[in-house]
Amino acid sequence: MSSTFLLRTARLMIILFFQIVVFNHIHLLGYITPLVIGYMLVCFHRNTSRIAVLLWGFSTGFLFDIFSNTAGMAAASCTLVALMQPALLQMFCPRDAAEDLVPTFHSLGFWSYLLYIFILMLVLHGAFYLLDAFTLIDWQLTAYSIIGGSLFTTITIVLIELIVRSHKSTSHFS
Amino acid sequence: MRALIDLIIKNKHWFVFIGLEVLSLAFLFSYNGYQKSVYFTTANDVVGSTYNVISGITSYLHLQEENQALEQTNEELRRQIIEIQRQIDEHHLDSILRMPSLPKKYDLVHAQVINGTLHKSNNLLTINKGEADGIRPEMGVVCSQGVVGIVYMTSEHYSIVMPILHVNSKISCRLRNSEYFGSLIWQRGYADIAYVTSIPRHAEVAPKDIVETNGFSDIFPPGLPIGMVHRINDSTDGISYMLRVKLFTNFTTLRNVSVITNYQSAERRQLEEMAEMHDKQ
Repeated sequence: MSSTFLLRTARLMIILFFQIVVFNHIHLLGYITPLVIGYMLVCFHRNTSRIAVLLWGFSTGFLFDIFSNTAGMAAASCTLVALMQPALLQMFCPRDAAEDLVPTFHSLGFWSYLLYIFILMLVLHGAFYLLDAFTLIDWQLTAYSIIGGSLFTTITIVLIELIVRSHKSTSHFS
Repeated sequence: MRALIDLIIKNKHWFVFIGLEVLSLAFLFSYNGYQKSVYFTTANDVVGSTYNVISGITSYLHLQEENQALEQTNEELRRQIIEIQRQIDEHHLDSILRMPSLPKKYDLVHAQVINGTLHKSNNLLTINKGEADGIRPEMGVVCSQGVVGIVYMTSEHYSIVMPILHVNSKISCRLRNSEYFGSLIWQRGYADIAYVTSIPRHAEVAPKDIVETNGFSDIFPPGLPIGMVHRINDSTDGISYMLRVKLFTNFTTLRNVSVITNYQSAERRQLEEMAEMHDKQ
């Protein structure tokens, strides 16, 4: 069992713990709940097997669903994000980037990294809240939830990233 | 084949993605009541619309049978209309107006026979119209088949008719298509047989000749059918024929009759009465 796998499992457990214990209880303005589990999906380094990313995405969402009573919603959303992540990372990578580039502020640049995270969070929240609402009758509330949740989660992930990276000088976290 | 396998291997993550999404959606619809109900409602709508379209198409295929069934129904209804029309015509008392010989200018009072005898020598019929309806004695009574008789007595709402089947009945008549005339009398016995007397022996008579009113009396207009010559007999005096006539009017089933109310001319009556009085003097 590779160390990468163990590291990813540990990270998944920690993120899931904080999501379930802390972030699931935050309802900003009454309807914005950040899906910080998205952080699990943005960290895969370049050229990670796409199937592995998909399986990790599905597992993350599935575990979240079990603890949040949202059967299938997060699993479907996270799988969609996992499909997009490698392609999106490829788009934001500098031309002379390393084959196993890890997406960070340093490797992608601040704005690119921010945009990269925001797009993925937008997809995650979009899929999640649309599946949750499952109708477009109250589309404004759904739109506020998606945009608000994406912004809030992006800020949260940036803060986590800043905290984690300031404590670790090496980038072998992924 | 190899290219296909290569394609599948190259895009295997898509298959994994689809598989995982299907799994997720299966969870979603299995364990979330709301999504499940929305899914089934939508699915029912889709299935319903599909069946609607299919039934729309198949109904066109059944149009032939529908058409045939409608055609049959139409035919049946048409037949009923004809039958009802026929019954109306039969029962409608205007049927007498259809007699070509009866000019339209005569007013007819429609009545129904409410009582009558056929087996006596002096048979009388009672009809349900009387003086209140403009009926007076000596008015002619006809039915759709032919002559019935003459009004004998009237009350306010009823009248007694002396039919042809009365031994005292005597109706002036002639043979159609010839000017030979005679008198129609009845002898007790048959309800459908009467006799025409006083037809001269040189008259050309043949069985099945039509006997009709001649218009000499002021009771019946000329040309109303009475009966058909059945047999040619000699009369007792030997100088004329006595024609045995089969009556057109079926007295055994007679129900609807009409009384001719305005044929009698007051002027003519007056003149005739004056002549009669003059004679007596």
